[in-house]
Amino acid sequence: MVVTAAEPGDELLAAQAAAGDDRAFEQLVSRYEARIFRLACRLTSETDAPDVLQETFLQVYRSLRTFRGDSRFSTWLYRIATNAALMNRRARARRPSEPLDQYLPRFDSRGVHTGTPEELQLPSRADELLDSQALADRAREVLARLPDMYRDPFVLRDLEDLTTAEVAAMLGLDPAAVRQRVHRARLMLRGYLSDLVGVRP
Amino acid sequence: MTDIVCVAGVDLLMDYLEGVLTDDVRAALDAHVAECQRCAAFVDSYCATPGLFKHATDASLPDDIQRALRAFLRARRR
Repeated sequence: MVVTAAEPGDELLAAQAAAGDDRAFEQLVSRYEARIFRLACRLTSETDAPDVLQETFLQVYRSLRTFRGDSRFSTWLYRIATNAALMNRRARARRPSEPLDQYLPRFDSRGVHTGTPEELQLPSRADELLDSQALADRAREVLARLPDMYRDPFVLRDLEDLTTAEVAAMLGLDPAAVRQRVHRARLMLRGYLSDLVGVRP
Repeated sequence: MTDIVCVAGVDLLMDYLEGVLTDDVRAALDAHVAECQRCAAFVDSYCATPGLFKHATDASLPDDIQRALRAFLRARRR
């Protein structure tokens, strides 16, 4: 049997950091800083993400003593980061968000998809059909245009891979409402990709 | 068993993928998608959308922002 030295778990590091061990805190920061920055970019913007990142870890540092081992450290951290991102956004001037309803799927009077199978398939090949930098730019833009009520559940559920139950708890929504909003976000963003690859959704 | 048309099937997709549909509705949707090329294609692109956005918005942490974070936290801990 091969025994390898395991990395200390998050919860152990959090307990050590709460007891005043700065190196344990630094390990937690280095373990999560990239993920929290990426989350902040997705929920705010690249301009605001550095502030959200700093605010998140400052709050973590200040509230480590209140962290109880009854939830995972990562869940607790994501909740702090999400709140920091939402507070940051609230402090900014309202950005214009658009319903993006024009990207919802279309059906004929019998309720049948209007597109051909080939047209309906095409958005799934957006990464082959578009330059990756152009796709990245457009994706960031459209995410920022998405109304917050769809953007936040979509980011947490689909881009950050939290469970529907975790997203529901974090945003104060029913799981059914999370599913409904994530679904609508997927429909609009799928239609947006369709438009990008040259097919009216 | 009621037959499903595309527009109703699309409404059920998220609940289908999350496993919260009743067995009979699930079976009806399976039956529709098995026969409807449009829905099969739509489901493909619907399922691909989160992954495409995940990849396209995968920002990495720039070195200067990482350094600024660590300096900020060191200063606050003093």
